[in-house]
Amino acid sequence: MSIVKDIPSAKKPFKRAYVGIFLWFTGRAIQAAAKVDKEVKKEFDNLPDDFTFSLGCLPNGPSMVIGKRNGAVKYLGGNPGQHKVHVRLAIKSVDAAFLILSFQESTALATTRNRLITDGEVPYALAVIRILDIVEVYLLPKIIAGLAVKRYPKQWSAGRKLGGRIGIYTRTILGI
Amino acid sequence: MNPVPVFAFTCPVKTNSGNKALEHLPVELAGLNACRPLIITSAKAVGRKAIRTLQNAFGDSGMTLGLFDGVTKTADLGLIEHLKNICLGKKYDAIIALGGYDIVDAAKVLNLAVSLKMADAHKLSPQTPVLRHLSPLVVVPTAAASGLETSKFAHFSRRIYSSEYLAPNLVVIDPRLTRAADGKTIAATGLAALGRAVESHISADANPFRDAYSFAAIRFVKENLPAAVNKPADRKASLAILNAASMSGCAASEANSARLHKLGQVFYDMQHIPTGVIMGMCLPHVLGDYLQEGVNDLAALLLPLVGDDEFSRTPAAKRADAALAVLGRFLADLYGALGKDLPRNLREAGVPGYIMEDILDVLGKDNEGPYLRTVVERIAG
Repeated sequence: MSIVKDIPSAKKPFKRAYVGIFLWFTGRAIQAAAKVDKEVKKEFDNLPDDFTFSLGCLPNGPSMVIGKRNGAVKYLGGNPGQHKVHVRLAIKSVDAAFLILSFQESTALATTRNRLITDGEVPYALAVIRILDIVEVYLLPKIIAGLAVKRYPKQWSAGRKLGGRIGIYTRTILGI
Repeated sequence: MNPVPVFAFTCPVKTNSGNKALEHLPVELAGLNACRPLIITSAKAVGRKAIRTLQNAFGDSGMTLGLFDGVTKTADLGLIEHLKNICLGKKYDAIIALGGYDIVDAAKVLNLAVSLKMADAHKLSPQTPVLRHLSPLVVVPTAAASGLETSKFAHFSRRIYSSEYLAPNLVVIDPRLTRAADGKTIAATGLAALGRAVESHISADANPFRDAYSFAAIRFVKENLPAAVNKPADRKASLAILNAASMSGCAASEANSARLHKLGQVFYDMQHIPTGVIMGMCLPHVLGDYLQEGVNDLAALLLPLVGDDEFSRTPAAKRADAALAVLGRFLADLYGALGKDLPRNLREAGVPGYIMEDILDVLGKDNEGPYLRTVVERIAG
């Protein structure tokens, strides 16, 4: 018997499922937010027409891919390999993704802790981060969104928050 | 600070430190072109829980890990030969050393044997030429560390291997693994880091890059060791001590004066007393002698020890004495906090008299042998 044991790496099904569902829902929410929120729409208008970005975990996902096609923003699924991606935001492991997406660490803190890799043009990546922050503010209650984003927007009117939330949740659930 | 006209400094070690730092390992290994690592450790020294924590960090990575958890203090080149054959046969492409002291030394020597594809590892010696980069080596230190884990040295089978290629590519310091079982363990690690950093910081051939490492290591130990000793489970304090140990190893790789290191190492090699325990005993004596000799700049120690305000309030001529006084109080508080758990002399450490002759003989072979023997006589108790 060898003194060296071979051990296959374990699976983390719960964290993987949580991250996968979160990314799937957020991807659809970004598609919805581009139609509902003027700020998100403006951010996408400033990006090239075939712009595509992905956010996911290394080494094997889960991921989400968002693309701009003929002026419309689309959630393109969870496989970045099928698309030409301009900006790739990769979280180094599913554990790190779980920390970020369960709001134990904000995106800014996770970046300082070296958990994110950005592949692509930095201005585009910053636009993506701004879009993600806005979508998180819509999707999450204030107390949780405050943990997820660097600065919770104080100047938003109650009408924008309420109307935006109803619009984004409806479109996300219906996939329109 | 006076500019140093000519110097060289190399530190090839990347450090990942902090909460869940271990979980970055699969990506870091991929960056080193490795996908099939072999973990080298000692289940007895680090515990099963630490091994499980490291294994779990690879969850969802799809990698298959090799695990050897039987490194002992008496590991020799026979074990290295056996492991080398397994490594080459099973095509492991990186080595991860989990722990400190002999575990890391064995991993460094194994990496040497595997990377050079030695036909017979028994032929490895400190004279074996190492002229190229070796396979990726990752060190994951636990609370019981010597500080030399990040250095270019490997003390193995009473031989000292030295090459800048022996230093690890990556050190991962995770607070889940740095919490000590008792105050003595973390005190020994902190004192070893302090001893190496102090000697590096005051050495006559110091340079600004090395000073940056030794300065931070001294300050980390001064500010965090009391908390880590009083509460060994303190994540923040123990993480700081392991960071200090890591930095002291980088600084010590480049330093020439290493009296404390030599004294600590000889007792570890012959009696397995943690190097920090002996370095703590010798520190006041060796620094006092450095002050008398007047070659080393002991005044440089005051700033990392006390901070800007007290440093600027102390006249330049009194800074060396003040630094020694601060270190003396720091050590006295440490010994006071640990009581009999941290021996103050060799008698308390349980070094038998019949071994002393052998230790003095080994020290006598060093170029500073006569001096080192006098230090041993002073700490005999």
